[in-house]
Amino acid sequence: MLNFIVRRLIQIPVVMLVLSLMIVGITQLLTPEQRAAPYIRSEQQAARLEQIIEQRGLRDPFPVQYGRWLSATLKGDLGYSKASSQDVITTIQERLPRTLELTFVTAIPILLLSIWLGTLSALHKDKLIDQILRVFVVLGYSLPSFVVGILLLAVFYAYLGWLPGAGQVSVLNTFALGELQRYTGLLTVDAALNGRWDIAWDALQHLILPAMTLLIVLSASIIKVMRNNMLEALTSDYVRTARAKGLSSRVVNNKHARRNALLSIVTLGGFLIIGLLSGSLITETIFAYPGVGQWVVQAAVGVDLAAVLGFAMLTAVIVVVVSTIVDILYGVIDPRVRFD
Amino acid sequence: MKKIAALSTLLILTSALAVAPKDTLVIQESADIPTMDPGVTYDTASGSITENLYETLLTYSGASLTKLEPLLSTKWTISNGGKTYTFDLRKNVKFHSGNAMTCADAEYSFERNLVTNSAESGNWFIAESLLGTGANANDDKTITWARIDKAVECNAAGQLIFNLPAVDPAFLAKLAYTGQSVIDSKYAIKLGEWSGKEADWKNWVGKDLTNSALSKAPSGTGAYKFVRKDANAFLATAFDGYWGKKPAIKNIVIQKVPELAARQQAFLRGDADMIEGAGRAVDEEQIKGKPGVMWVDNLPNTVASAFFMNENIKSTGLLGSGKLDGKGIPANFFKDSNVRRAFSYAFNYEQYIQDVQKGKGKQRTMLLPDTFPGYDAKVGTYSFDKAKATQYFQRAWGGQVWKNGFVMTANYRAGAVASQTAMEILKKNIESINPKFRVNIQAKPWSEMLAASKKGEEAMIIIGWAPDYADPDNFMYTFYSSNGYYFPRNNWKDAQVDKWLEQARNTVNTAERNRLYSLVGKKAYEQAPYILMPAGVNYLFTRDNITGVSASNYNPMISFAYTGTFWKELGKK
Repeated sequence: MLNFIVRRLIQIPVVMLVLSLMIVGITQLLTPEQRAAPYIRSEQQAARLEQIIEQRGLRDPFPVQYGRWLSATLKGDLGYSKASSQDVITTIQERLPRTLELTFVTAIPILLLSIWLGTLSALHKDKLIDQILRVFVVLGYSLPSFVVGILLLAVFYAYLGWLPGAGQVSVLNTFALGELQRYTGLLTVDAALNGRWDIAWDALQHLILPAMTLLIVLSASIIKVMRNNMLEALTSDYVRTARAKGLSSRVVNNKHARRNALLSIVTLGGFLIIGLLSGSLITETIFAYPGVGQWVVQAAVGVDLAAVLGFAMLTAVIVVVVSTIVDILYGVIDPRVRFD
Repeated sequence: MKKIAALSTLLILTSALAVAPKDTLVIQESADIPTMDPGVTYDTASGSITENLYETLLTYSGASLTKLEPLLSTKWTISNGGKTYTFDLRKNVKFHSGNAMTCADAEYSFERNLVTNSAESGNWFIAESLLGTGANANDDKTITWARIDKAVECNAAGQLIFNLPAVDPAFLAKLAYTGQSVIDSKYAIKLGEWSGKEADWKNWVGKDLTNSALSKAPSGTGAYKFVRKDANAFLATAFDGYWGKKPAIKNIVIQKVPELAARQQAFLRGDADMIEGAGRAVDEEQIKGKPGVMWVDNLPNTVASAFFMNENIKSTGLLGSGKLDGKGIPANFFKDSNVRRAFSYAFNYEQYIQDVQKGKGKQRTMLLPDTFPGYDAKVGTYSFDKAKATQYFQRAWGGQVWKNGFVMTANYRAGAVASQTAMEILKKNIESINPKFRVNIQAKPWSEMLAASKKGEEAMIIIGWAPDYADPDNFMYTFYSSNGYYFPRNNWKDAQVDKWLEQARNTVNTAERNRLYSLVGKKAYEQAPYILMPAGVNYLFTRDNITGVSASNYNPMISFAYTGTFWKELGKK
């Protein structure tokens, strides 16, 4: 097991190196003027385009530009992101815990709810509840997250006024954030640890709509897979044998059928968490939630190379770490899987 | 059910508190604030912050673009034939750090701008005044420490003295730009910024200050003091030690909300006092006339845009056959003024105003905002006239254009709907004049268009200019001089116009300058080097409980375009 984990961790720098070579390589297809674009905010600055290109060494050959990036990165400097007006490292440090927080409040409900609903749907195949859930799945599949997000915002914030709008906390609490002692970077947790329950509650309220959006959009595929897996498991030989042994249907469904049906859900869950941690791009943008997703959207639009590279590195780490955890979980669920 | 009811009640109660508090101004916009260091501020998003945290020696008086009034200075005198400016500085002014402002701070601020003068900054124009060149010491080796040191000094009486190498009538207007704010030198040096001494000045030449230590922790003399900035919001609060009148609004919060729909909903609910809109068509539909909204229209616009007609097109890709054989155009197609006049008569200005500007547009006589000094409303304007356009096309190139026809390609900035529409209007009209005429239009990314146009490779493009400072030279020289920034884009050169523009640059006599600019305007009308785009009419909207906002105190030179005022002039009912 340890060997397996170590092997996976060694992959991280290799993946990062290949990824960075690819990204820097692709950007060479852009002209120096295009790569200088993030540094220009007005016609007046455009007048200084040549100086900007010169200063940044944007006309240098690919190995020189890559070497410069690599040497800075090895010193822990991922460069300056124009999209966040901060260093890339500072940006990730500031934004990743927020995305992590959104992932926590989103991933667990999505997984639990989807597994439950998928099971329910399979157990009540073709009955009303199954029909309703299948409609929900189709809706979740077909509605883009920006439509769901804006719809929820329009109903629960603008029309009903039940939930707060965009942002992470209300204006009243914005100033108080500076006084909070930060322990984890997760605002709800830090606020609670500081005894500021009002801020924790406020932050939690701001998480509801983005979480609901993600839940509607992302749970559809898991419900569908869970339903199919359960249906398959319920008709398999070992379930028939378990039933023949006289086990109660509760035990058969939960212990035998569901456990086996969960295998591919673990894989899907891994993808879900990778996706959420890499930033829920559209949802974070709509709800002005200051996580990595919101930053990446702006970086991509503005050809912010330092940010794109930094984000790619971050994603590489997340993918390797999460898939390692998923593989370990595989072993836990299915004893036939061995690592050594 | 009871649980749901209880939860709903709790939610309603807590979200009711979300409405923007009375002592706090809440603004929502889409983008981040690039920098808070005045030394590199050269965009409106950064300018709207620095102009409130920092202060300049002087500023525009109310809505006026010509009248300047003291801010950190109390008065100034001009001597030595217009080449020496002596400023008396305001006493008892404190920085947010608690340090007292002295003449040494002002001297440091200007020297820092001259030393760094990075490509990203707008310091080139103050360097032009004080060093006679817009370059920094890396690009122009004649710039020495001695020249920078001499350009701005403090005398024994604590007065700030500027020594200009030549007369510059725009110098005072340049000082009003927020990039020329006075910074807290002791505090900045402590943060690790330039020491202010000769010893390390060379290390700072051309340095990009966008992410400087000072940008992260600013300290100015402004009415508002920086509190905190994170990924979500910028916060400032009224500075207790401010020398002037205490601001009415205590706190400023600028929230970053990229999604337009979310901003609109927050504004209409009163959670945001001001938001970044989406252009007249959308804002009139979604915001105007809704309860709680104040809409102020017919405000001055200080951007000038035009079709550039390049008289020396260097790209062969846009020329077709490169000859007047009906399959292309020669590189110097626009050299003949008859072609330029014909194009100018072929553009339907009224249609553009209706279609693009929703009827809120104005034709200008010169490429100079009509509110600027030097603007002459009596200079002629072209109007859409098919007969006249035909007449000039028939005369062009000794009748060759009319006889053989032409095919040319014009590029517009990809995504710029207004430019695309303008190009389509022109194309349709020209092609309807003679079936042998063909204008192809195509979209091109901004960065590529900028680079190509600078090399003179674009045949016809639409670009504009926004002012750095309220002086006609900033527009007239840029557009019309053969030494101006835009010259390589249209290659129109007129020796007489060049002479007038140089003369206007070197005299402080306002009447004489106005006369010279008027002459340039008339000559440009006659020669038609550009097709002048109608100028849009500006508007703004805020929640109606915001006070201090009106057309009478809206100054287009203020970066905070939501009201065209400094924050300290605003109140909230």
